[in-house]
Amino acid sequence: MIDFSQLDRVIHEKSRLSIMTLLASRSPWSFQELKTELSMSDGNLITHLRTLTKEGYVRELKTTAGDSGRPMTQYEITGAGNSAFRAYVKVLEAIVQQSRPK
Amino acid sequence: MAASDLPHDTALEHLRIIRTLMERANIYRAVSATAALCGGVLGLGVAAWGLMMPPSPQMFLAAWIGVLCLSGLANLFLLMRESQDKGQPFITDGLRMALRAVVPPLLTGGVVGVCLIVFRQQMELASLIWILCYGLALQGTVSFAPRSIIHLARAFLIAGQILTVLWLWKGWPDMISPPVAVASLYMGGTFGLFHIVYGVAVFLSQPKELVTSHS
Repeated sequence: MIDFSQLDRVIHEKSRLSIMTLLASRSPWSFQELKTELSMSDGNLITHLRTLTKEGYVRELKTTAGDSGRPMTQYEITGAGNSAFRAYVKVLEAIVQQSRPK
Repeated sequence: MAASDLPHDTALEHLRIIRTLMERANIYRAVSATAALCGGVLGLGVAAWGLMMPPSPQMFLAAWIGVLCLSGLANLFLLMRESQDKGQPFITDGLRMALRAVVPPLLTGGVVGVCLIVFRQQMELASLIWILCYGLALQGTVSFAPRSIIHLARAFLIAGQILTVLWLWKGWPDMISPPVAVASLYMGGTFGLFHIVYGVAVFLSQPKELVTSHS
């Protein structure tokens, strides 16, 4: 029996799920890169990144771009974020498995 | 939405988003569309020159090395600019994977082809080996390449195999001579034409929007 309370409400929102997926695939991603890949506005993306950072799922890294030396913000997934993401995917898979016709 | 109300369709849709984004996150385009277009046009030009005014084997070799160098440099420059625009480093895991996949077949084809032209004046065979090795190099990137590169790899491999069979079996195209003109036809039809088609196809395909953002 699936324990639906395990489903993480923070990750469940579609935009945040997309951000978490990209960060779980490979890290780090620059703000610009995330914005381009997800076609999100600056305001929208920063709001979701703040929510995920506040939850401890994402970490912000301040770096400088190699050639130009200009400041750049990158984001990477934390250990807690990785665990939460894996748990979320497991619950989704369980839901699909359970409702599959036998 | 409460978690306990999560319907089966929503779960499936979220899993689909995860899968698609994970695939896209690890995709690397080793051949820039703009560079392919420029290289393709240049290749067609050199092939037309080789067909109309058949050059010496040395001139044929020099001309195609020139096309390779110019297209390669353009590709490198455009990939670097793309990384800068995205705010990501140029040397990435994707680039390393691409280099590991393409360098061995390209080097092999390059050495064998140059030796065939310099020591045996075998332009047709050299061009067929270049076509096949380039196809194999692209084929090596299919696990992380966009669909257009996969099609390009297949086009080179299929064309290379068909042309090799036709050339060895019937000496096709037997109405064209000398051998350098035949080699120019092979090179123009593949390195020229295929790259132009690839470049145009990439420009025409619009990126599909996956996520509709909402805060």
